[in-house]
Amino acid sequence: MKKIVDVSLPIGPVHPVFKEPCRIKCEMRGEQVLSAELELGYVKKGIERIMVGRPWQEVMFLAERVCGICSVVHNYVCIEGMERISDIEVPDRAAYLRVILNEMDRIQSHLLANYSYCYTIEHETLAMYLINLRETTMDALEMITGARVTCSYIIPGGVRFDLTPEKEKTLRGMLDHIDSELTRFVNMFKGGPMIALRSKNIGNFTREEAIESHAVGPTARASNLNNDCRLFHPTYKKLGFESILLDDGDNYARIMLRFLEIFQSTELIRSCLAQMEPGIIRGGGIIGGGTSKWSGEAPRGELTYDISTDIRGRIKTIGIRTPSIMNIEACVHYMLKGVDSSADVTSTYISSDPCIACNER
Amino acid sequence: MESSLLWYLKEFVRGEWLTKFFTVKTAPLITPPYFRGFPTLTHQECTHCLACMMICPAPNAIEVLKTEGVWNPVIYPGHCVRCGFCVEACPEDVLAAGVLLETQKAEHTSFSATFHLTINPNTCKRCGNCATVCPVNKEIDPYLGGTGTPSSDEVIMRIINGEMRVIHNEKCTGCKTCEKGCPNHAIKVARVVQGVQEVNGV
Amino acid sequence: MKALQDLKNAVRSRSIHVCYVNVGSCNGCDIEILACLAPRYDIEQYGIYVHNNPREADILLITGGFSPQWEDKLKRVWDEIPEPKAAIAIGNCPISGCVFNRDGTYLDPPVRKHIPIAAEVPGCPPRPTEILEAILSLAPVVFKDYERREE
Repeated sequence: MKKIVDVSLPIGPVHPVFKEPCRIKCEMRGEQVLSAELELGYVKKGIERIMVGRPWQEVMFLAERVCGICSVVHNYVCIEGMERISDIEVPDRAAYLRVILNEMDRIQSHLLANYSYCYTIEHETLAMYLINLRETTMDALEMITGARVTCSYIIPGGVRFDLTPEKEKTLRGMLDHIDSELTRFVNMFKGGPMIALRSKNIGNFTREEAIESHAVGPTARASNLNNDCRLFHPTYKKLGFESILLDDGDNYARIMLRFLEIFQSTELIRSCLAQMEPGIIRGGGIIGGGTSKWSGEAPRGELTYDISTDIRGRIKTIGIRTPSIMNIEACVHYMLKGVDSSADVTSTYISSDPCIACNER
Repeated sequence: MESSLLWYLKEFVRGEWLTKFFTVKTAPLITPPYFRGFPTLTHQECTHCLACMMICPAPNAIEVLKTEGVWNPVIYPGHCVRCGFCVEACPEDVLAAGVLLETQKAEHTSFSATFHLTINPNTCKRCGNCATVCPVNKEIDPYLGGTGTPSSDEVIMRIINGEMRVIHNEKCTGCKTCEKGCPNHAIKVARVVQGVQEVNGV
Repeated sequence: MKALQDLKNAVRSRSIHVCYVNVGSCNGCDIEILACLAPRYDIEQYGIYVHNNPREADILLITGGFSPQWEDKLKRVWDEIPEPKAAIAIGNCPISGCVFNRDGTYLDPPVRKHIPIAAEVPGCPPRPTEILEAILSLAPVVFKDYERREE
């Protein structure tokens, strides 16, 4: 059958709603999208090639700079992967501190994703509220680690700084602030009829499609597909983690799931603070030779580091699989198909929380 | 629809919103004290051990230079990533960044580094460049021959019986000058670092 | 004529439209620019408006260390910006390539080689306040008496 295409609409690489350069080529009949294709390659840096032959103290910084939004989890998974090569024991307190930092990072990343979505559907009020709330989270990150974005906090055998009692008190205050403010914003999101009009039943993504396209993270969990890597993590197991699932699989569900996960993250941090006991934060340990494969749950989904090192702990080969590549493909090939207007193309794209810098590295 | 209008009214006619709208908009923008920032000098005496340079993850970000007869580290802002590793690695507390130095003192944390030389015998062509360029070798034996065959046995590496041998691995400071001088990339320096914490003075 | 010029100077330094282009960064600097939009920093109270459209922009913020894909595209974006214009390099990447400027990289820093850069903000990434200060201090200098200089 010959496909009738009226308009071919390219979006990007420089586009007002895109935070990063990429290009979506939509084939449309009128305003309805028939199919879409994604073009990447604008920010390829070759990080895996640079990493080869370098010890952890340099690889850690390169891993952090794979993605600036979820830099903590890259640091976390890369270092935990390397620790597993030579069985380095991490002190209990350090393990909890890592989880606290990871969840803090998840909160700010989810807030940023929801900010982008609200900004894209032109609900600037809510968007500004969310990004202002994100500043509180960034303050917490800065308080614990000393930097806002690239924290460089997790090192083999522990973490770099301790959480003093004063800082812990401030952190609890910040968590309460996030919870109370976010409850207000979530009600705003639920109550706004315009938001529902722009979000519900748009960009539908069923469970079968999610399985077929190997979607991960919140994008898959909003379609009731549970593949949260935190379920298998030893420290999260201690905390009794259970993932949140939603059924609808539209834009609204994806954004709502992120809001719910923020509440879950604050609860996780609170239980970490309750369970934590004073102790050492650095156990030492030298990375030797070997191979390991380790996955962690990034804010966007499953992140895998496949590392092999030589006898002195220098990287021989490394493979990184970031979550966004599956989510972007799922978004472009399944969600965008049948979207009714070109304005919804960008909002659906943003709702899958794409991260181009992760993808291309 | 009505509920939504009410909602928006409730959202905007809050006391907090009104005061923020009519008074000064943003708080003064101050950098919080716990921000790391670029490392600064504390004017302690630098011993030229180069620990800061050896741990720095960014290329060309830090150099230890001799100005007016005094060694001091110099930070280049366009290259420095403000990680604070140099502050933690320095044994003499020459550098400080934000509250990092005080935190480190309070928590007794530091980095310990060892350096290991490996020579690939298959690609090494015994030119002796590494032994000649090595700054430690030069200090031990100022009369180094052009072929890397010094008379002293105290040097890090030298050619023995036509083969490049590493004699004193422990003297290596990890500067990687030999790596740059090697035409075949046969010599490699591994910088092995671990983060350690003293517990009760141990 | 001088009064008119003064008025133009005053208006130009109070109304700055900003476009940002990511030419191979890790996103860290981009989200710090986004954070400037937050009511905490409130970039718009100074008359700076970020909207990412080169044809309306006065100032181009460049993040990232120049990947080969941008060889022709960045020049095009730069040419689309109407005069008077200025480019600011945000972060270490456009200045020196940051940690990526090593063997095996695809990047080609500094961006200075490709388009003229008026100011540089070091840091990996710089704080929003530093970005804000750079834009605010650069704008009056670059746009002052633009017509007179043209003559």
